Amino acid sequence: MLNNHPLASWLIGYEAQRKRMLKKAPKGPLYNFLSVPFPQLFTPFDQVPILAVDFETTGLDAIQDKLLSVGCVDLIDNQIKLGSSYHQIISSRGRLTPDNVSIHQITDDQKDQGQSLAQVIEQLLQRLAGKVMLVHFARIERQFLRQACIELYGMAPVIPMIDTLMVAKRRLDKKDVAYDPSELRLSTLRTKYNLPDHYAHNALNDAIATAELLLAQTNECHENPALEKLLL
Amino acid sequence: MDSALTEISEFLQAIPPMGLLPPSTIEKIVKEISICYVRRGLALPPQGSVAKNLYILRKGALSYVTENNELIGKYGEGDICTVFCIGNQDDNGNTIKVTTDEDTLLYSINYEKFEELVAKFPDVVAFFQQTAEQRLSKKMLQVNEEAILNSSLLNSSIANFYHSPVVTVTPDTSIQQAAILMTERGFSCLVIANKDIPLGIVTDKDIRRRCVAQALDIQQPVTTIMTDNMTTIDIKNTAYDALMMMTQKHIHHLPVTANNQLKGMVTVTDLMNNEGQNAVNITSVIHKAKSVSELAEISKMIPKLQIRMAKLGTTADHVGKSISAITMAFTIRLITMAEKLLGPAPVPYAWLAAGSQARQEQFAHSDQDNAIIISNDLQPQHQPWFKDLATFVSDGLAACGFIYCPGEVMATNEKWCQTQEKWAQYFAHWINHPDPKSLMHCSIFFDLTTVHGDSRLLNTVREKMLKTTQRSTLFIAHLSRNALQLRPPLGFFRDFVLIQDGENKATLDLKHNGIAPIVDLARIYALSEGVASVNTIERLQQAAGTPSLTKASAANLIDAYEFLSMLRMEHQANKLQLSQKPNNYLSPKEISKLEREHLKDAFKVIKTMQDNRQSTF
Repeated sequence: MLNNHPLASWLIGYEAQRKRMLKKAPKGPLYNFLSVPFPQLFTPFDQVPILAVDFETTGLDAIQDKLLSVGCVDLIDNQIKLGSSYHQIISSRGRLTPDNVSIHQITDDQKDQGQSLAQVIEQLLQRLAGKVMLVHFARIERQFLRQACIELYGMAPVIPMIDTLMVAKRRLDKKDVAYDPSELRLSTLRTKYNLPDHYAHNALNDAIATAELLLAQTNECHENPALEKLLL
Repeated sequence: MDSALTEISEFLQAIPPMGLLPPSTIEKIVKEISICYVRRGLALPPQGSVAKNLYILRKGALSYVTENNELIGKYGEGDICTVFCIGNQDDNGNTIKVTTDEDTLLYSINYEKFEELVAKFPDVVAFFQQTAEQRLSKKMLQVNEEAILNSSLLNSSIANFYHSPVVTVTPDTSIQQAAILMTERGFSCLVIANKDIPLGIVTDKDIRRRCVAQALDIQQPVTTIMTDNMTTIDIKNTAYDALMMMTQKHIHHLPVTANNQLKGMVTVTDLMNNEGQNAVNITSVIHKAKSVSELAEISKMIPKLQIRMAKLGTTADHVGKSISAITMAFTIRLITMAEKLLGPAPVPYAWLAAGSQARQEQFAHSDQDNAIIISNDLQPQHQPWFKDLATFVSDGLAACGFIYCPGEVMATNEKWCQTQEKWAQYFAHWINHPDPKSLMHCSIFFDLTTVHGDSRLLNTVREKMLKTTQRSTLFIAHLSRNALQLRPPLGFFRDFVLIQDGENKATLDLKHNGIAPIVDLARIYALSEGVASVNTIERLQQAAGTPSLTKASAANLIDAYEFLSMLRMEHQANKLQLSQKPNNYLSPKEISKLEREHLKDAFKVIKTMQDNRQSTF
């Protein structure tokens, strides 16, 4: 990876990008987020402040589909702090399709009682400042957050991320044996690590489930990997 | 609240004693949780945390071991680990180490914060302050309360039932005078007493059978037709004990005494008015049965009675006593039938019950353990009579659902149908040569009781035997070592402590892992202190306060015994209700988490007492 080269990481590394973006960012939530330094790449895992995040959306397309709810929880020092958990439903225009309701259990009524996208993204960025974002299957969260920031602030920030799916995939790839993609699902991976069944499709619940999975993955080798090894 | 945290709240709510907390407090506790993950084979606390934390197992398993790596206990999902907040020493003062047996997900809560949140809920605070023994004792108290509510007889004193004063006459009263007095007062029985010391009892039936039918002179003193050597009951007993005594002896009048002085009379009607269908009903039907097939028909009521008693909240002790009394009634009826068929016994003898029946701890579908003790006057030509008697009774009992003893401990086995002298020799041999086989026999034959016949035959042998055992420390030591082979399971409900094969897969053997060790301990205390009782609770009560057993330990063992017996009784009642064969294999799924907690406590009590026993020798 280019990231591993000292010069490359200086040029395109998260910190460098953050500093460059900070200069262009409009004052407000995005500026505040960018003004806090990210953890350094060699920080051992148990000292990295992590925010496990999950979004529930109306679909997979960040441009057409809507963000429905956000859930997140802090993970630091090998512990998931339930006291820090945050869950918010977003009110947006447009009706939900019955399909969506059955998956997310978020009804139109609840959605209408939610907060605006601007309020929720502001709170998420506040919580995320100076931390690494943890998700399972990063594409959704990355694209929806990017799209939301562009709509709200005119630009998308750089965010260091850990993806439990990629952590698992890299390990499977290393073994050099064929595997079924379904082995990379959150629930399948949790079962593999003797984690309890969880109630899926609630943003906070999935965020906690993802954080538990990362704890299991990082503890597997009895070592305390540096952040660099886990980043996307 | 957020639905993710609802899930965790529900998990907490299901763990005793958290269920006693209101949802708002549970919510606050959830907010205090840090989730930790510990790989298999690592020591707790996670990451060497030094904070005083309470850990709740969300998934995985923990082992508690002493510094010498001796396993103390196993804990699984839903268990609370208080080693790092309340105390890291077990009951014997050993420091507890905790390690993970599997990859484990823990909910960690700062204990000071937790205490603060639950401070307003005394039951929850108490749960964390109590020792295992205290929790168990509290549970037994609740169980007994249910019994009181459900059945007044069990826990009310005879004092509430007996008639007083009883009509007494002096020994020189004539039969006629007695009959006139009974007619005047409308009583069906009189007690013959000399200065308040009861000598005997005379009933309507005695006047009919022993006087009128025999054409006896009605001017004869009433003592000629009275039943002497009568059964009396001390006023300190419960009404239930009186009922059981009447059931066993098949009598309907029981004089009540206090310090051997006659106080009054309790009749079966007095008690029956309080209990509808009960053991007395069944035994009176048994006594009227005319054939073995009729008895077999009646025996089908036993499981129903056991279910009913269990559902009523009757304690296992009382159920055991009732079922034992009924078995006794069956046996007596069969012996009477046999004697009618074979003619009277050639020499005095007694029919003995061994094992659970003797201890009055029998449940439905037990196997029969019996023996015969014969007067030393036995001649070789008499032996066929006893052989026939044994075969008739044993077959009859089998027809009534009491299966033949797999170990051949039955009167049909010539070895166990012997003279008084031979029995005395047996006991002497077992005590002097405590090899494994002897010890096995001890556990059966040191719990003997007379069912029918002359009880002095057995009592004489027993007295001599008890004098020997009290002195024979070597024998007691061997017996103790033998008894300690049955250990309570240390890892509760984890796969490897449960029975792994056959139809009883993944179950806990309540009898061999819990009840039998207490029965064994009680026998050892009784033999080393010369206690003649055979009932486990009575043995423990009577041995309490002797050098063998402190009063507190006796109370703990009784609580543990009652709790385990109750679990077994409920388990069997459920099986019987489903028309399944009752057994002693409890599946962890059958009982609540709270009961699991108490089960662990009961096992801890047994283990402590076994350890003490071990260190004594």
